[in-house]
Amino acid sequence: MNDNILVLEGVNKHFPLNSFRMRGKVVHAMDDVSFSLRRGEVLAIVGESGSGKTTTANVISRIYKQTSGRVAFEGRELSGTMSRKEELKHHKRVQMIFQDPFGALNPTRTVGGIMERPFIIHKIAKDKRSVAEKVYNILIQVGLEPPEQFTRKFPHELSGGQRQRVNIARAFSIEPELILADEPTSMLDVSNRMSIMNMMLNLKERHGVSFIYITHDLAGARYMSDRIIVMYAGMIMEIGPAEEIINSSFHPYTKLLKSAAPAPETGLKRKPLITGGDIPSLIDPPSGCRFHPRCPFAGESCSLEIPPMKKIGEDHYARCLL
Amino acid sequence: MLKDTLALFIENRKALFGLMILVFFSGVAIFAPLIAPYDPKTNKVDVLRIVDEEMDRTTTIEREKIDEFTERRVYTQSIATTYERVTTKLPLNAKPSREHLLGTTKAGQDLFSQMVYGTRITLTVGLVTGLFTTALALTLALVAGYFGGIVDDIISLFTNVFLVIPSLPLMIVIAAYITVRGVIPIVLILGLTSWPWPTRILRSQVVSLKNRDFVRVSRVLGEKPLYIVFREILPNMISLVMASFFTSTMAAIMGEATLEFLGLGNVSIVSWGTILYWAQNSGALLSGAWWWFLPPGICIALIGTSFALMNFAIDEISNPKLRKR
Amino acid sequence: MIELDRSQMTPLLQCKDLVAGYRIKSGFVHAVDDVSFDLDRGGFLGIAGESGCGKSTLAYAIMRLLKDNAIIESGSLIFKGIDLVKLNEEQMKKIRWVDISMAFQSAMNALNPVLSVGEQLIDAIHAHREASQSNARDRAIEVLKLVDIPRDRFDSYPHQLSGGMKQRVMIAMALILNPELIIMDEPTTALDVVVQRTIIEKIQELRKTLGFSVIFITHDLSLLVEISDTLAIMYAGKIVEYGSSESLFNSPLHPYTKGLMNSFPSLTGRIKRMGGIEGKPPDLLKPPDGCRFHPRCPLAMPICRESCPSLEEIADRHSVACFLHKGAEAQ
Repeated sequence: MNDNILVLEGVNKHFPLNSFRMRGKVVHAMDDVSFSLRRGEVLAIVGESGSGKTTTANVISRIYKQTSGRVAFEGRELSGTMSRKEELKHHKRVQMIFQDPFGALNPTRTVGGIMERPFIIHKIAKDKRSVAEKVYNILIQVGLEPPEQFTRKFPHELSGGQRQRVNIARAFSIEPELILADEPTSMLDVSNRMSIMNMMLNLKERHGVSFIYITHDLAGARYMSDRIIVMYAGMIMEIGPAEEIINSSFHPYTKLLKSAAPAPETGLKRKPLITGGDIPSLIDPPSGCRFHPRCPFAGESCSLEIPPMKKIGEDHYARCLL
Repeated sequence: MLKDTLALFIENRKALFGLMILVFFSGVAIFAPLIAPYDPKTNKVDVLRIVDEEMDRTTTIEREKIDEFTERRVYTQSIATTYERVTTKLPLNAKPSREHLLGTTKAGQDLFSQMVYGTRITLTVGLVTGLFTTALALTLALVAGYFGGIVDDIISLFTNVFLVIPSLPLMIVIAAYITVRGVIPIVLILGLTSWPWPTRILRSQVVSLKNRDFVRVSRVLGEKPLYIVFREILPNMISLVMASFFTSTMAAIMGEATLEFLGLGNVSIVSWGTILYWAQNSGALLSGAWWWFLPPGICIALIGTSFALMNFAIDEISNPKLRKR
Repeated sequence: MIELDRSQMTPLLQCKDLVAGYRIKSGFVHAVDDVSFDLDRGGFLGIAGESGCGKSTLAYAIMRLLKDNAIIESGSLIFKGIDLVKLNEEQMKKIRWVDISMAFQSAMNALNPVLSVGEQLIDAIHAHREASQSNARDRAIEVLKLVDIPRDRFDSYPHQLSGGMKQRVMIAMALILNPELIIMDEPTTALDVVVQRTIIEKIQELRKTLGFSVIFITHDLSLLVEISDTLAIMYAGKIVEYGSSESLFNSPLHPYTKGLMNSFPSLTGRIKRMGGIEGKPPDLLKPPDGCRFHPRCPLAMPICRESCPSLEEIADRHSVACFLHKGAEAQ
């Protein structure tokens, strides 16, 4: 029974470099990214900068078109060229929440003006009154009450948490099938984060939306998601159920992430990190396994070929030769 | 949003001062006929005087008998009035005095009236050119910046080529060859040589706005490109467009003065530039007739200052970090 | 007979009732309102708080780097017996960077993009000490080595370095004149988690070998609990809880601390829905009457609306400013 609403197979995204010195070279933002998203699940993509997690979201939402590989949403193939009508349909189904709450809101428009647009573009409501009703409805759902007051405000009059609520309301407002959230809480105050995360989970249940949650915070990913994908230097390193990834992580990079994350409950005494080093260049990535220069368990064959994804356990795969 | 910006603008002391100067000169331009005591071009003053009024001693009477008792008499008398018309030529090259607040030119024209009427041409040319240049630059910037690709490449190529051509020599060459003289050719010449610079600046901002998250969000929501350009990007550029407009207007005023000064415009119209032309031509600098060449210079400088101040104010409004607390 | 080393017992820095803030058109913003804490020699004090709680103002106040319309209104900062608040700029210059230095937030902005890293380090030396060019250069190379930056990077420009390396340069710059106290303002916030951990490990290592004290300011409480000895939780310009990090973690007393602890999902243990804190921090220009946290506090009592609790020691090395935990003292 195919319950997958999103399938990526062998997706590559390479950005060509324009300067004379770097002609012919590309930035390997995504390489051989394959996974599927089940209806109604929350899938977290965890990685550091340069891992390709944001690029993946951009490809799924069609901000970028993939260089090669297959992206299918609800059975429909998303190819490099799509008609305007098809693109519009896609946008109704896939929405995105960005990291910077303030940057995602046009400073010259009121909250009301911003919230109206999705309904008008996708012709969901007919007249001014029904649009206003729907706007008030979703604003109440994200805790911005009374909604009439908020629709008149400009973004700079709201707090960070309130702005992010507007962004979230906007994403959920047209009842998409899939929402991509790109580090939605990392620019918020700590005390706001939890309520925003809980609110997203509640809204997801209420509207029956599938969710891709992008973050660098492993603990946040564990809290929010059913399954976790770990990405490094543009490639998927490990994928599996959230608990398994955390408790029985297989890939050395996943283990590194886990040991680096703050975890005060482990008794305040820490073992040092298993390795140091820096994230590699995406223009000239290391040969073979991209993690091998930093991997304490690297063997000879690790630098020769990119390891394929290997099954570790039920629904649990890792790209490692160990 | 617009109301807030305008309010902020007026609150700012610099802007207010600059605006007042502009309003002052605009007032002068509009009410020129009421302010200027003389016709700017004339060097004479006609005075009509009644010299003599003579009554004719002869009185003709017309009698008409209406009936036995009634007689109607009509008396007619004529008056001859002698007028004297005295044409006084205005003093030549006169220093400022009560009759002539800024003195006169070598040809006897009242300079104060010239300055007052000249404001009309100068301001009109400046503002119209400023508008034209800004509108052209904004259109090119939006198209090139938002759509990118080959359209951007072509427009940018043109812009960069025209940018490199020195505008003053270009203006002089064009002006020297055209046969039609007047204000409109000047506006066109100035406009067509000063559009590259603001185009570049506005285009950069369009590109940077295009990459902001809220524009991305609009694209992900499925907004049409035209809507994004006009309702998402353009409103965020207002302050830059206004600053661009002020700069272009100032450049146009300077450009007009320069062209007129060089004699490439229509030297028979009255503008601050032509005043300078005639001043130069008549050796005002050499003869020390400071009342001739100083006023236009000072006024051009004042208008420049007014636009510069308003520009500063716009900078401060759009970049809150520059505001003093 | 063991002689007590008295000099080791007095704290390195004693902050007493410090009030600092800045003047704006509508009044005076008390960003630091009556703050007191002690820092022992070689100690690690963590100051946790969210945006707008005044922690950065506190850091700059200690360094006497407050600018323009920001001033220290009252209170004292006793550093090795000298009150820093009473010093003039000349005197403070002698102490700044030599005894107390700072690693600023976001190294990307704090480093000069047109000077090489080595030049900036040498500049830092020359600004505070007379030194020959070659001595300064030697010291710069030495300190870069301490933070594991290879010698060949001496002439690199900031944009040629990764985020983690830039941050290490910042730390090297702070260490360059061997200060006794380094204030670190959100040094690892913009960095990836692995790089962050490497930098923290490096700081701990250097502390062991060089023996300096650290005041570490961040909003990431879960990180702070792990790495500090003493912890101060700041809210709306005041310290609401203060004590050893073990004590605060195991038994947080202030509702705000509890709320904060409840805002960090954990990597171990059962997954449960966590709370977080409702509302947002108050405007420091017109803070709420009474306890500043009361509008957001789930356990607020009538007294909390009227008066502001002061910091009181409840247990050994654990103080809290909350009416829920007032000792035998009646209010």
